[in-house]
Amino acid sequence: MTDATASAEPLADLPATAPTGSKNRRASSNPWARAWRILKRDRPTLLAAAMLAIIVLSSLCAPLYASYVSGTDPFRSSLSARIMVDGKRVKVMQASTEGLGLGVSPIGPTWGPQYLLGADTQGRDVAARLLYGGRNSLLIAATSTAICLCLAAIVGISAGFFGGWVDKVLSRILDILWAFPVYLLAISLSIVFISQGIVIGPIEIRADSLLLPIFIIGIIYVPYVARPVRGRVLALKESEFVLAARGLGIPAWRILLHDILPNVSTMLIVFVPLMMGLNIIIESSLSFLSIGVQAPDASWGTIIQDGQTLLYSRPAVALAPGIAIVLTVLSLNVLGDSLRDALDPRTKLV
Amino acid sequence: MVFAILQRLGQMLFVMFGISALVFLIFFATPGSDPAARIAGRNAAQETVEAVRKEFGFDQPLPIQYGVMMKRLFITQDLASFVNRGLRVVPAVMDAAPVTLSLVAGAAVLWVIGGIFVGVLAALTRDTLIDRGLMVLALIGVSMPVYWLGEVMNLISQSRFHDTIFFSWVPALGYKPLTEDPVGWFKTLVIPWFTLAALYIGIYGRVLRANLVEAYQEDFIRTARAKGLSPARVMLRHALRTSLIPFVTMFGLDFGVLVGGSALLTEVVFGLNGVGRLTYQALLNLDLPMILGTVMYASFFVVIANALVDLVYVVIDPRVRGA
Amino acid sequence: MTTMRLKRLARRAGLITAGMLLAQTALSSGALADERADLMAKHRGGTITLAAVSAAGTVDPMINYTAQFWQIYQLTYDGLVKFKQAGGTDGFEIVPSIAEEIPQATNDGKTYVFKIRKGIKFSNGKDVTPADVVASFQRIFKVKGPTTGSFYNGLVGADACIADAATCTLDGGVVADEAAGTVTINLTAPDAEIFSKLAVPHASILPADAPLADAGTTPIPGTGAYYIDSYNPNEQMVIKRNPHFKEWSVDAQPDGYADEIVYKFGLTEEATINAIINGQIDWMFDAPPSDRLAEIGSKYASQIKIDPLAAFWYAPMNTNLPPFDNVKVRQAVNYALDRDALVGLFGGEALAQPTCQILPPDFPGHVDDCSYTAEPGPEWVGPDMEKAKALIEESGTKGQKVTVIAEDNAVSRGIGTYLQSLLSELGYDASMKAISPNIQFTYIQNTNNKVQMSISQWYMDYPAASNFLNVLLSCASFVPGSDSSINISGYCNKDLDAKMKEAMTLALTDPDAANALWADVDKGFMEQAPLAPLFTPKSVNFTSARLDNYVFNKQNRWLISQSWVK
Repeated sequence: MTDATASAEPLADLPATAPTGSKNRRASSNPWARAWRILKRDRPTLLAAAMLAIIVLSSLCAPLYASYVSGTDPFRSSLSARIMVDGKRVKVMQASTEGLGLGVSPIGPTWGPQYLLGADTQGRDVAARLLYGGRNSLLIAATSTAICLCLAAIVGISAGFFGGWVDKVLSRILDILWAFPVYLLAISLSIVFISQGIVIGPIEIRADSLLLPIFIIGIIYVPYVARPVRGRVLALKESEFVLAARGLGIPAWRILLHDILPNVSTMLIVFVPLMMGLNIIIESSLSFLSIGVQAPDASWGTIIQDGQTLLYSRPAVALAPGIAIVLTVLSLNVLGDSLRDALDPRTKLV
Repeated sequence: MVFAILQRLGQMLFVMFGISALVFLIFFATPGSDPAARIAGRNAAQETVEAVRKEFGFDQPLPIQYGVMMKRLFITQDLASFVNRGLRVVPAVMDAAPVTLSLVAGAAVLWVIGGIFVGVLAALTRDTLIDRGLMVLALIGVSMPVYWLGEVMNLISQSRFHDTIFFSWVPALGYKPLTEDPVGWFKTLVIPWFTLAALYIGIYGRVLRANLVEAYQEDFIRTARAKGLSPARVMLRHALRTSLIPFVTMFGLDFGVLVGGSALLTEVVFGLNGVGRLTYQALLNLDLPMILGTVMYASFFVVIANALVDLVYVVIDPRVRGA
Repeated sequence: MTTMRLKRLARRAGLITAGMLLAQTALSSGALADERADLMAKHRGGTITLAAVSAAGTVDPMINYTAQFWQIYQLTYDGLVKFKQAGGTDGFEIVPSIAEEIPQATNDGKTYVFKIRKGIKFSNGKDVTPADVVASFQRIFKVKGPTTGSFYNGLVGADACIADAATCTLDGGVVADEAAGTVTINLTAPDAEIFSKLAVPHASILPADAPLADAGTTPIPGTGAYYIDSYNPNEQMVIKRNPHFKEWSVDAQPDGYADEIVYKFGLTEEATINAIINGQIDWMFDAPPSDRLAEIGSKYASQIKIDPLAAFWYAPMNTNLPPFDNVKVRQAVNYALDRDALVGLFGGEALAQPTCQILPPDFPGHVDDCSYTAEPGPEWVGPDMEKAKALIEESGTKGQKVTVIAEDNAVSRGIGTYLQSLLSELGYDASMKAISPNIQFTYIQNTNNKVQMSISQWYMDYPAASNFLNVLLSCASFVPGSDSSINISGYCNKDLDAKMKEAMTLALTDPDAANALWADVDKGFMEQAPLAPLFTPKSVNFTSARLDNYVFNKQNRWLISQSWVK
């Protein structure tokens, strides 16, 4: 779901087959144990998990790389720095010497410890920024996924469970957000907040805070998750065991807690990797349009943006973070598929 | 029936009203968005800024400003941009629409054919290497940020391999109208089409494969196979037909959203002046009339697509009709 | 002449030396009439195709305030007087255009009587009359032009027109005498810059029946050698020969070579560069993207023209907000700036020149001087980091939060990132925000937005020191809470303000002494450092191989009508 918003699955709200499915699950001994058994045997899943682990670990090691391997500060411009390459001291930013001598280009990939992938337009080490950027991209994706799923669960369950005017109001709000193309919504929100941050009473979020993109990305997909959640809750409400429980006079909050929440939460867990993948892509797109992560912080999207102005002379700057995104999102999607097959095969998002 | 249609129309209007009000409020909540000084010009006297504020009605209460703007957008259709003064919003959007339509329609043809091909082939060769290979490719398609793929395509076709026979035909970035230069139109759009379609081929291929696999387990397919119908016939006449239902609805929604301007990243990367780029530029310039115009246009397509999909759904899926 | 478009042009713009272009300006003297007729016979015809990433807004010459369209107005409109259409600094000279000659002042410098040239026709075929001139001056106020308060407020009756535009008559300010064929202009006080103000496109003479509202996308007939035939900001502008044009002054409105000029909008810079290389487009308004500079600088060197601009890039520091309310901090920033690195971000030495003063080189009042460098002298040689750090230490402001507001384009964002990095090195908790170029300029002016430091540029409107110093730093230019407060630093110095007033009065009688005083004022401001000058940009023009006779005018840049493609 990159360029478009949609491909949301309209079938997901239909109650079609939910009741019997959930009953079976309740009957089986322990869904988590069963899921784990299935996952263990699945080699692509293990491979994806390993790849993701490597990406996460190397991102976590960014400070170590910056201080012990590349030896530069990836958040400081070094426009007049010089480094040793093949025993020669060369400038990081090299002015053209041909013809009229127009233009200054950063050094290309050295394939050595310093400036492994070359420098960006500020003379900073791209490899070190790539690792730091990974930290931000992953952090934003993970936390905004959490926000999105929590909000969606609250909205979807309230709408589905309480019905009546609660459902009406929430559904209409969701309708509006739904018809607001995701990118336009994200861009509008970003432009508003990035220019001044948010001040709500004593809480002040600075415009360069990572919380802003997290918050914005966390909100925009809420309708896409809340709709299937609501559908599932509606289906469960009509299911035999809930009807039976009601008949027995069990209070609503107990039904919610014991019968509905567990069911919805497996559904939400299946969404986690898929949403993270989507969020990584949308975060990078916003940063690419310079309305996501703000300088001097890096994310994969901002590095692609930096690299865009160097695309023809130093393509590595834009290629490397793109490849990192593809590998990460690919692993997340593979994991998401397996998780779905193992836990809740009927759940659909994309 | 009439009541249902009216209700649906009412809902659509409500959604569009909600979106326009939201956009309007977001705009006025933005710091630095006051257009008076930007319209008045650099180093304008305070009196001039005030006069402009009055002339454009920025001193009026927000509901009145909203009403006036909506009237000028929909009824008199003379709403003009704040940035390119005198540029009418409605004709500007109408000028941009064919670009977006060309981009999205071409990509849609590619992704429908590609998606069906990938889905059917993978389902037929289920659990073989071909199936796995196709599914990995589809996943890669889904995992690539479209703007990055576009940049890479530009790098390859415009620079690195532009002088080889593979890409020497690629023209400079930009759009050529179909009516003036059909060959140029095709050439400039081929690469954007593939770039935009890559993601959707991935999604549609995966969804179709899953639906086909599911369909093969249903009773009527088993019956058909048991009757000894040829595998091709089973696939085309029975399995594919039922599996295409969700495919059609997905297609309707995606197409609507993209035609409405959500292909903006593709348009930005390839320098196509379509609705998406117009929207993006309007947002960056905080050009309220243009933002309202383009966002209303976009949401119109989303709302229409939703309604059409629901309608088509009722027509083609007997289960829904029954319920 | 700034504004957004201009800033965009400035992005990576640059030039070499004036010598290079003077060599090409075959007709700058204008004396070679025969030769000119020969050339005209030989090269007349064809279509010149121009391109820009975006259009520059309204086509109305009284409202549009962008270098991009002022360049077009040179060949489509005329004022009573005009900047000379010639190469280099000759372009600073003011020549009569619709007026027969430049009048002498009477009534203690407050009255000028212009004799209107006979026989000039608008492109709609009507004659230019004194009534058109009066109507045009009224129209400036009726359409609420951006410079009514800064350029034309000195006319008698202007106050009433600014207060209520609809009833504007300029009674007693601009008076026509149809019988004598004259227009008399009365000022409330003598003004040394009045001819410059009358020579810019905002004072163009338009037909009396021109619409009394922003013309938007509908071109208004003019008196130039060409007229604007159609304009669509998302597509193109078509400029054609004025069928009623007869050359009346080579200096003010020379006949052009090309039959038609097409200005295309909406192509990306990359696409335009490729089209120029392929000969499909003759010139691009925007500066070439930095990624392609090295390539075109070596492969197509002969098609690149680099000319100096009267402009500077600077970083205003808000003198009313900490830490920049402390003069030591402002000075420290000026000492610490590695202006060579900034020049590199702009595209290298060929495209910009480090500066640590406000008035640009070759400009009235400019005297080479730089105190904020390792070895203070006439030129900037290198940063003095130690001194900067010592000053910051003394100020006791270390650790404070500072945000730099840049424009969201490659160069400005690059400079912003560099400033953020530098401020961190000086001990601040610094961050950078890039916001849309269209909004940034008004955003940084409004004190309500509490902008501490920003990045901006200033391009002259006309060659006078006051157009930099008085506009950018006078107390009157600072209006708290307004989006139109061009004194971005919010700096008001009563002594220097008085000195500027003195210089403007002195300019009426002794321009040289006034310029010396301006140099003093420049130095005075730099001591207080309300802003940090970064560099002087140069203009890079990349033209097609077939385009010849490129003439660069320091006031209005490339003279489109004087180039040929045949």
